[in-house]
Amino acid sequence: MEDIKAYIESGILELYVLGDVTPEERTQVEAMAQKHPAIKAELEEIGRSLELYAEENAVEPSENLRNRVLNSLVVNLGDDRTFSSTRTADEEEDNVIIPISRARSNTFFKYAFAACLALLLVSIVALISVYNKLQESNNLVASLQSQNQRFANQTSLMDKELGVFHDASFKMVKLQGTPKSPSSKLTVAWSPVKKKVMIDMTNASMPVNDKDHQYQLWAMVNGKPVDLGVFDADTTSTGMKEMKSIASADAFAVTLERRGGSPTPTMDQMMVIGKF
Amino acid sequence: MSKKRKISLSEEELVLALQRREKIAAEALYDMYSASLFGVIVRIVNDEAIAEDILQDTFVKIWNSFSSYSTEKGRLFTWMVNIARNLAIDKIRSKDFKNQTKNQELENNVTFIDEQRNTVYKPELLGVKDLVEKLKPEQKSILDLVYFKGYTHVEAADELGVPLGTIKTRLRMAITQLRKYFN
Repeated sequence: MEDIKAYIESGILELYVLGDVTPEERTQVEAMAQKHPAIKAELEEIGRSLELYAEENAVEPSENLRNRVLNSLVVNLGDDRTFSSTRTADEEEDNVIIPISRARSNTFFKYAFAACLALLLVSIVALISVYNKLQESNNLVASLQSQNQRFANQTSLMDKELGVFHDASFKMVKLQGTPKSPSSKLTVAWSPVKKKVMIDMTNASMPVNDKDHQYQLWAMVNGKPVDLGVFDADTTSTGMKEMKSIASADAFAVTLERRGGSPTPTMDQMMVIGKF
Repeated sequence: MSKKRKISLSEEELVLALQRREKIAAEALYDMYSASLFGVIVRIVNDEAIAEDILQDTFVKIWNSFSSYSTEKGRLFTWMVNIARNLAIDKIRSKDFKNQTKNQELENNVTFIDEQRNTVYKPELLGVKDLVEKLKPEQKSILDLVYFKGYTHVEAADELGVPLGTIKTRLRMAITQLRKYFN
């Protein structure tokens, strides 16, 4: 018993419990414990007091470590179940949410694309019709402008004609038909002051000339004929036609000449003549 | 995790359940011993995140090698705490750990952790104070060096500059004081 007491008091049992022994010492202590219940009881007491000391100095690990540790043990067990139910719930939720949001966005973009296409077609049709209307309007404006221009021209022309009649300096000379063409008549307006000669085509009554010939107006100055220009006579001729200017004249006459006029009048082709 | 939900079994029931590898055994094992083991580990490694990893490794090792434990060898906790201490000591002696934490005053760390953690085990605080008063300073320092810092008694003798025999005697006296206190 003395040996056992000395063995206990050597402190080897404490080191054994603390794991601070060599493999030989370990085997020796275990053999002693098998043989002597007193040593076994001593080891039990040392272990218990160190366990309680550890309990006194216990430190609570963080709460989430419990699931982590237990899951790692369960994985080792080959068990599919996990100790945490929240995680699987999250995963299920994810699985459900993703396809729905995808489907929604798919149909949304489908409809959006269709709407865009429809809008584009409507826009093109509207653009074409507006373009056509614009073209019509432009044509209308152009035709109105040309019409306006025609009216303006006509008005100014008529103003000029009226001016001739109103101008006191103009002298009206009525040319009468010669025996060759007794029914022919032509009125010549002449202003010696303004040196202007005009013929009144509206009231003219001349046979229609062919395309090879033209009428030529002559002024008789001191018995000599002076060319005043050529003109055509047809049924639609209207207005006053200005001829070449001349300062003085005794008489006016019209002969039928070759187209373009002649330097001297062909006397047997005289159509009308008038004197002051 | 509330205290009420913690599972507690007698040591015999727990050992049987662990041998059958029942799920409830894992839960009971964790609930009954995680704080005690974590207290030892965190004092050795002095880093909570590393201590948690080691605690996890400890439980995995306990679970996987439980067949090597027998009640003949002693208390379950003695076996488990030596697994935890060995893993923690392996860690602090590994190269990467040494690189990241240079040598620090050992006892300072223990008191530092105690101060940091004292809110966690407030109900037991009175008891610890009584216990600390019962232990002589030289007894407490050798016990904490070996138990909570992972020193061998040879290393502790070097550290404290006392003969090996004195170390053994002081260690035995400290544990004897513990036994008196807990009885």
